[in-house]
Amino acid sequence: MIFTIFKKELKDTLRDKRTLIMMLVIPVAIFPVILSLFVTVSESFTKEAAEKTIQIGVVGEPDNYVLKRLEGLPQELGKKNITVYKDTVELKAAIKVDSAQIGIVPSPHFTANMALKKPAGVTVYYNATDLGMKNRAEAYLETIESIAQQERYLDLKINEEEIRPLKINYSNVASSKEMIGKLAGGFLPYIFIAFGFIGCMYPAIDLFTGEKERGTIETLLTTPVARWQILFGKMGVVVLSGLLASTFALLGLFLSIEVFDIVQNPEILDVIHGILSPTFIVMLFALLFPLTIFFAGMMIPIAVYAKSFKEAQSIITPLNIVVVLPAMVGFFPGIELTAFTACIPIVNIVLATKELIAGTLDFGLLGLSFAVMVSLAVLAVFISYKRFDKETNVVL
Amino acid sequence: MIEVTNLRKEFALSRQQRKELSTPSKTAIAVDDVSFTCNPGRIFSLLGPNGAGKTTIMRMLSTIFKPTSGTIKIGGIDVSEDPREARKKIGFLTGSTGLYARLTPNELIQYFADLYGIPKNVCEQRKEKLYTLLDMHEFQGKRIGKLSTGMKQKVSICRTMIHDPEVVVFDEPTSGLDVITAENIIQLIRDCKAEGKTVIFSSHIMGEVDLLCDDIAIIHKGKVLHNGTMSDFRENMQAPNLTAEFIRIVNQTKLENA
Repeated sequence: MIFTIFKKELKDTLRDKRTLIMMLVIPVAIFPVILSLFVTVSESFTKEAAEKTIQIGVVGEPDNYVLKRLEGLPQELGKKNITVYKDTVELKAAIKVDSAQIGIVPSPHFTANMALKKPAGVTVYYNATDLGMKNRAEAYLETIESIAQQERYLDLKINEEEIRPLKINYSNVASSKEMIGKLAGGFLPYIFIAFGFIGCMYPAIDLFTGEKERGTIETLLTTPVARWQILFGKMGVVVLSGLLASTFALLGLFLSIEVFDIVQNPEILDVIHGILSPTFIVMLFALLFPLTIFFAGMMIPIAVYAKSFKEAQSIITPLNIVVVLPAMVGFFPGIELTAFTACIPIVNIVLATKELIAGTLDFGLLGLSFAVMVSLAVLAVFISYKRFDKETNVVL
Repeated sequence: MIEVTNLRKEFALSRQQRKELSTPSKTAIAVDDVSFTCNPGRIFSLLGPNGAGKTTIMRMLSTIFKPTSGTIKIGGIDVSEDPREARKKIGFLTGSTGLYARLTPNELIQYFADLYGIPKNVCEQRKEKLYTLLDMHEFQGKRIGKLSTGMKQKVSICRTMIHDPEVVVFDEPTSGLDVITAENIIQLIRDCKAEGKTVIFSSHIMGEVDLLCDDIAIIHKGKVLHNGTMSDFRENMQAPNLTAEFIRIVNQTKLENA
C-alpha cells in the first residue's frame, strides 16, 4: 500500500510545474550559472587589472631618484604613465578626481638621506575604493627599494649573503585538493543542503496541505489503508524530491565540468573530478538521506497543521533561514568536524562533506554525524506520525 | 446495515475558540447520544440545519473521526475496533470532495481500486460497467483538472462505487451541481437502493429527501429530534409540507431549550 501511494504521489508531483522547476530546473542550472559567472568575472578582473594603464603622479624634481627608477621599471609590473606635480595638494586633488590613481611623494630630505645611506621617506597616496591600487604601488616601491638595497650593498662592498643569517623555505604539505576542499569545500554542501530543503518544500506542502485544501484527503482516509501507510507513502515522495534536487545540483556540476568546460584551472578540476567519483557520491548521499528525512519530518507536521498552501508556505519559508544559517558554517575556515560539531545537525553534514572533499574525513566522526542525523530523522518521522494521526489536523 | 448506538463526539477547544464561543468548557459536543439503524435496500436521510452535526456523524461512519463514545457497526463490524475492515464496506461521496487534478480519471479510479485491493481483472470489469453507466469513456484519459464540474462528479461517483461498497454515504452530494449532474446522482442513489445497498443521504434540498428516502432522522445541535420511517413522518406532519415541518420541529426545539 505504501508503494501504491508513493507511486501515485510521485506521478502527481512530477506533473506539477512548480515542483519541477524547484526540483529539477533550478538545481541543474545553478552550478553552470554560478561557475560561469565566477569564471567570467574573475577572468575579466584579472585581465582588466593586468591591462589597465594607471596614472602615477610624482612630486619632486624631474631628476629625483624615485622618478628615475619608476620610469625604468619593466612593463610586466603593470602599464603606467607618469606625471610630475608641483605639490602634494595638486597631486591629492588629482587622485580625488581619478586623473591619477597613485601619488608618490618623496620626503623633503629624501635625496640627502639616500646620499647618507639613511632610510629615505616616501609617502604614497591612493584611493582605497579603487581596488588593487595599493597593491600596484607596493609592487612598484618594493622593486625600487630592492634596487636601492642592491646599490647600497655594492657601495658598502657588502656581500648580501653575509647579512642574511637565515634562509627560510616555507613548504606547504597540504595537497591542492586538501586546500581547495578546506577553503572552498563549504560551498558545495551548502548548495546540496539548500536544494535538499527546497526540493522537499513544495511536495511537502502540496501532498499534505494541498490535499486538505482540495478536499482529497477525506476520500483517501476512507480507504482501508492505515494512516501511517499514507504518511510513509507521501513522505517517501517528499524525501525523494529533496534527494533529486540535490542530485540534479550534482548533475549541474558534472555538466559544467564535463560538457560545458566552464572550469579550466587544473587543481580545481582535480578536486571536482574527485567529487564526482562514485565513493564520494555514495558517502554524500549517505549523509544527505537522513538529512532529507529530517527536513521532511520538520515540514510535514507544519504542512499537516496549516489550513492553506499560503499558510504552510509562510511558516516553512522562514524555516529555510534556520537551515541555511548552520549550513553557512562551512564557509568559515578553522571550524572542523569534532565530536561536538558532529552532534549539531546540518553543521555536521556540512563539515563532514567539507572533510570528504578535502580527503581528510575521520570515519568515526562520520559515523557519529550519521547516527545523529538518523536519530533526528526518526524523531521527525515520529512527530509527523503523531500530527498526521490527529483527526482535527488532517480534515479542514 | 448500519447500527449507530449512543454515539457521542466531543472536540477539544483551543483557548482562542473558547474565547470566541464565550465558554469556559474545554470541549464542544458535536454529536450527543445519537442512535439509529439503516437497513439494506433502504435510503436513510439525515436532516439538520448547518452545524447540526450531520457531517461529523458521516465522518465517524466513514472512520475519518473516532467517536468519543458509543458504537457504530457497519455490516456487523465495529468501526472503532476494526476501522480498516469497516472502510472496505463503505463508499463515501460528498459534494465538496476534491479530486487529483493532475491525474486522469482512469489513473484515479485505478489508484483507489489498488487502495481497496481489488484484483486487476475485477477492477477492469467494474470500470467498464461504471464508465458505460456514467458515460465516461470519452474523457477517461484527460487530466481531471481540465474536466467540467459534471464530468468531475461522474469521476467522484465512479471512485465511490469502484469497490462495490455495501454501504454508501452521500453527504450533500448534489450541492452546487447543475440539474443534469444532480439527476445522475439521484439515479445512482436509486440504483444503490435497488441493488440492496444501505444508503445514508444528507441534503438541504427537501425535494430530494421527499423523493428518495425511506427513513428519516432530524438532527439539531448534535441530538436526534426525530427518527422513524418517512411514511410515519408524513402521516404525523403538523405542517403542510416537509420543509415547513422540518422548520417547525427545529424551531420548537429552540423554544424548548431557550
